[in-house]
Formats: sequence, C-alpha cells, structure tokens
Amino acid sequence: MRRLLADRLVVATGTIVVAMSAVFALVRVIT
Amino acid sequence: MLGPCRRLDERPWHEVGTAPALVTTPSLPYPEHHGAAPGTTTPAATAPGPTSRGIAWLVIYLCFILAPLFALLLGSMPPARSFWTEFSVALGYSGLAMMGLQFGLTARFRYVTAPWGEDVIYHFHRQISLIAVALVVAHPIILFIERPELVRLLNSVQAPWRARFAALSTYSLIAIVVMAIWRTKLRLRYETWHVTHVVLAIVAVGAGIAHMVGWSFYLDDPWKRGLWIGLTVFWVGLLAYVRIFKPLFVLRRPYIVSEVREELGKTWTLIMRPDGHAGLRFRPGQFGWLTVFGSPFKISAHPFSFSSSAAVSDGHVEMSIRELGDFTDEIAKVPVGRRVYIDGPYGAFTMGQPADMHVLVAGGVGITPMMSILRTLADQGDKRPVVLVYGSKSWDVITFRDELEALEARLDLAVVHVLENPPDDWTGERGFVTADVLRRHLPPPYADHEYFICGPDVMMDAIENALEELKVPITKYHSERYSFV
Repeated sequence: MRRLLADRLVVATGTIVVAMSAVFALVRVIT
Repeated sequence: MLGPCRRLDERPWHEVGTAPALVTTPSLPYPEHHGAAPGTTTPAATAPGPTSRGIAWLVIYLCFILAPLFALLLGSMPPARSFWTEFSVALGYSGLAMMGLQFGLTARFRYVTAPWGEDVIYHFHRQISLIAVALVVAHPIILFIERPELVRLLNSVQAPWRARFAALSTYSLIAIVVMAIWRTKLRLRYETWHVTHVVLAIVAVGAGIAHMVGWSFYLDDPWKRGLWIGLTVFWVGLLAYVRIFKPLFVLRRPYIVSEVREELGKTWTLIMRPDGHAGLRFRPGQFGWLTVFGSPFKISAHPFSFSSSAAVSDGHVEMSIRELGDFTDEIAKVPVGRRVYIDGPYGAFTMGQPADMHVLVAGGVGITPMMSILRTLADQGDKRPVVLVYGSKSWDVITFRDELEALEARLDLAVVHVLENPPDDWTGERGFVTADVLRRHLPPPYADHEYFICGPDVMMDAIENALEELKVPITKYHSERYSFV
C-alpha cells in the first residue's frame, strides 16, 4: 500500500518534470 | 544512493531476517492522555499533520528541480533553437537536478523523512532514479534524432571534453542503476556496492555539471553558471553531511558492547552501553545505524531496530540480529568491550494514535521492534490491551518466546503464535498470518485498533491486504519492512 503511494509519487513527479520541460521549450520557441 | 539492506524478500518470510532495516510509516503524536513515551517530545497540537508536511516537502523537491531550470529563462538568453532541441536540453537539466537531489533523499534528515516514512523515501529514491536516468538518456537521443550530425560526439576519442563529460555522466548513471537493480544477482558485497554507488554518483553529477558549463549555451551568464555550480556544491554537501559530519558526531558518542546474548532462532542480542555520554533517547520501535566493525566513516553501518525498552535509565540499548549468512554471522563473535557506534534514532514506527487496542503483527525477526514496544509498555506499567500476532517457522525457533510469556503476566497482552511447521500436538494457528487469523483473535470493529506490522515483504503485503479486507484505513497502521532496497 505504502509502496504504491511511493510509486504514484514517482509517476506524478516524473510527469510534472517532463511537462514543465516541455513548457520551458515552448517558452523558448515562442518568445 | 540506495538503501543499505539486503533484499530478503525472496526467502520464506519466517526465515528472513536480520533485524529490520527499517522502513516506517508516519508517526503521530503519542496521545497525551497516555503520557508521552520516553525520549519523545510530543509535537504541538498545532503542528501540521504528516500529510500537509509531506506535500510541502514534495513541492519543495519539485521547486529544487524546476526553479534552476526556469532561472535559465531570466536575463540574457542565446537564440532559441527548435522545440525538440530545447526540450531535450530541459530534460538534461531536470534529470541532473533530480540526480543531485538523490543525495538529499538519503541524507537522513528526520524532519524530511518523518511525514512519509523511511520506506516511502527509500522506495521513492530508487524509483525516481529510473526517471532521472531516463531524462538524461533522452537528452542525447532526442538531439541525435533532431540533429544527426551530433552522433559523431559519441566518439569519445575525437569528441571535445564537454561531450566526453556528458558521456561519462550518462554511463555512470546507467552503471548506478544497473548495479542497484541487479546487486544481488551480480553478487556484489553490500559495502563494495555502496562505495561504488557513492563514487559513481559523484562522478555522474560532477561530469554532468562539467558538461553543462563546458557547453556554456545557457550558462554563459556568470550568475547562471554560479547558480548551477552552487547547486552542485549543495548536492555534494548533502553527501558530505551524511558521510563526514554525521560520522564525526557519532564518533564522539561511542558505545561499548557489554554482553552478547544468544536468543532462539539464530538471533543474537548486542547489549551496548554509552561510553562517556548519556546515550541516545529513542521511542520504542525506532532504529539506528549500527557500525560494529570499523569507524563510522567506513560505509559499513547497517540499520537495526532497538529491541530494548526505551524506559531504561542507564542509557543502554539492545539490538537483536539474526544470522543470515553475511556479516550478521559475525555478530555472535563480537567480543565484550568492543567499541561500536550508533547513528540514530530514526523511524516513526511508534505508537501514536488513540486506539482501543494495539495490534502487533510480526514475522520472524520482525519481532525486535515489537519487543521494544512491549518492554517499554511493561516498564511504564501500561495496561492497555495489546495483541501480538507472531509468525514463526516452528516452535523451537521463536525468538523471545519465553520472555513473551513473562510479558503476558505484566501486560494486558495476548500472544498468538502462528507456526508454519507446528508440532503434532499444536492446537494454535498454523500456516501464515491471514485476515482470517486476525478475525479469530481481534474483536471488531477492526478499524478502531492501531496496527504495527513488521516483517519481510511477502508477509507485509499479505497483512496489508488483510487489513484492507477488514476495512482498516491506511492511517491506522504502521508498517516496517526488512529491505531498504
């Protein structure tokens, strides 16, 4: 149960980081 | 850095066990109406709960990854390139920041680990490293697809140093992951693996920042370069904290082994007394990193639960360690008078919530933190009802069997032995601890009790599923696993 929680945290963190990296690239291209 | 414990969960759960290498769930304040447990400071009622504090740390963690990346957008910037090139660069920066923060996850900051528990932190440390390495590896792959002419940089003989550093960093990261995942299959000694793990991590992060500075695309501004170099110094500082400053502190507070006591089930109890200091104060159920052979600077500390009462006045502590065929086989030979070192206490596997009954579920040598809890309750004259469900292989190897009988007389304690190989005349529980066993020995409603579970992964998973079946919420139980990794 608690490992499942940790796994979800990992997936959420990875998703946020990849999404924000894409935002970074978009900002660079647009501005 | 991954956690220090051997993987034990491939073995039958009753056979597994050195004292647990602890992974714990969040603790809650010891209820005031029961009095604070020895050695504890009861958190203020207004203190944020584990959930809010945990989320706060997660936000801070994300800020440490993303803020330095977005800081690159401030001030003067080089001309933008294609989306995919910029995306790959951002992945590289993010991946390196995640790898750097790995040093912080294992820096043993109690305030950071408490809201989540050691098990979640170490599991997160291991799993997030896969994400970080994936990001770092994705960086060149995307670049090579977008700009095929860059593939020539893979030739480290002719490539510039900035590309060589990138390759060195990436290969080091891959080696870290491979060694961590397949350490057991590679038959690497724990100490060898741990030293290699730390060295490779430093090389990976150092070479990564050298690659960034060498490429100089975004770090042309002195302040941006300073920011990222400063971050690297911070990450390495976290490592220095746990490998240099903490050992220095521990070195000044040694313990002397006063007795090595044999227990049932190939288990030995080290009784250690503080040498020249008052000793540490722990809560029953917590653990410490024990260095028996060598100095605290040597990477040879292993985590063990305290098995002694936390209510003793002379500062002595006990740890009970089962022989497992590795360094634990040497515990029996530790001479009386040997100087040892303990870094601790850590963990939150302690009584916290108001409950009508405490239920302790132990498998094998997972009994050790339970013994600390029971001994402390007995020393305090605590008469709250406690049920101990204790799984063992057979009657003859039940560690602390006789003392548990004695504790039943001092406490409102019922011990339920569950034996996998019981004697012919055995009338008690057989097999493994299941939801049915809990139903037979616990009064409903089950969600009103507070549960403590300690044992190997197989047992832990089974008990957690059983508690879910009994409608016990996750907030009502504490779990402690043997394996950090």
